[in-house]
Amino acid sequence: MDFDFSVITDHWRFLGYGVLVTLALSVASGLTSLALGFVIALLRLHGPRWLRPLVVLYIDSMRAIPVLVVLVWTFFALPIVAGVTLPPFWAALVGLTVHLAAYAAEIVRAGIESVRPGQTRAALALGLSRPSVLRRIVLPQALVRMLPAFGSLLSVTIKDTAIASVIAVPELMRQSETVAGQSFQPIEVYTFAMLVYFVLLFPVTRGVDRIYRRLAHLGRS
Amino acid sequence: MTLDWSVVWQHRDALAAATGTTFLLTVATMVIAVPCGIIVAVLRLYGYAPVRALATGYVELFRNLPLILVVYWAFYVLPILTGTGLSPLATGLAALALNVTAYNAETFRAGINSIRRGQLEAAMALGMSRAQALRRVVLPQALRRITPVLASTWVSLFKDTSLVSVIAVTELAYVAMQVRAQTFRVLEMLTAMAAIYWLLGYPQAKLVDWIQRRYAVTE
Repeated sequence: MDFDFSVITDHWRFLGYGVLVTLALSVASGLTSLALGFVIALLRLHGPRWLRPLVVLYIDSMRAIPVLVVLVWTFFALPIVAGVTLPPFWAALVGLTVHLAAYAAEIVRAGIESVRPGQTRAALALGLSRPSVLRRIVLPQALVRMLPAFGSLLSVTIKDTAIASVIAVPELMRQSETVAGQSFQPIEVYTFAMLVYFVLLFPVTRGVDRIYRRLAHLGRS
Repeated sequence: MTLDWSVVWQHRDALAAATGTTFLLTVATMVIAVPCGIIVAVLRLYGYAPVRALATGYVELFRNLPLILVVYWAFYVLPILTGTGLSPLATGLAALALNVTAYNAETFRAGINSIRRGQLEAAMALGMSRAQALRRVVLPQALRRITPVLASTWVSLFKDTSLVSVIAVTELAYVAMQVRAQTFRVLEMLTAMAAIYWLLGYPQAKLVDWIQRRYAVTE
């Protein structure tokens, strides 16, 4: 069999656009799910008592439903319920955020809970308010400890953006499908896409590990 | 808007069969991926240098690729490699197994590494071969230690089987979306799909939490 990789160079603009959309969607949903995850974790740990079971239900539900289902539901069913149609990119951003924030919340919770309660008690005894205990004592240590888990969450995020191809977000996976379908050279195109994803993902996990090893001493107590 | 939930009940047989396929895929993938994961992990730890490099390359590659891309890739490449047309189910199974084996290999490697080296050395000093020492001393302990990780891999896999719907494997996500396309009952079918996944996945996620508490390593 013959392989002809000129199909990649012929469509490099189209595929390159896909890479950009993948990056944009990854960064955007990474940031939003991080922010939402923090809020949810704090609600679970320090929120009003009646809200906590609901937060736990949300987190466990997201661990039980495939991200594909969340994305498809957000894109096709949400417009019927809410009456607003989101463009694919924004639907993907909302769906990925709703899904990944649950995982981010668990990471934040584990990080906060890993700081011994004695420290909180000591700080409270010294007269610090609860918010400032969290901000000055607990979070600085917890944040460092969360770093490796956030690294793997970021790599999961990038991988999950590929599923957004199902709702026609023009990211790398979708663009590859289009090129593969038009050129009848799926093997070349998908192998190229594999290479690109690997090049994007491999440094993320390695890079975060390296940064963590530098900072790990700050998280010790 | 008018909702007609009877559409879900009308297609109960198809949905039940599809749910069966989802479970079948999950079980079959795990049945393949656990032994293969052990083999890859052992090759990566104790194999000859080129074998070790190959095993490491395989694990790193598949851990750093989106599963949906592996599914598409398998769909187009496997028929060429094997020379025969595979059914979508077999292709989906192959893609899932390739992916989960890589994750399991990493899990087993961590598990084996977590058993102190002295145990392997002691077993070998007692006259066991390396293979015997691994099989009888190290692996049983490692297996117990990584049970929680395998359990959460199981739940991820259960959810990830939905991705093989893109190559028309008739599992839950594919069938639900087929019915949606035929009946135009979008909200009903998609909500039913989410509900079925939730009903099946939620107890599994809770079970994993329990296993994690039960098997927690305290040193």
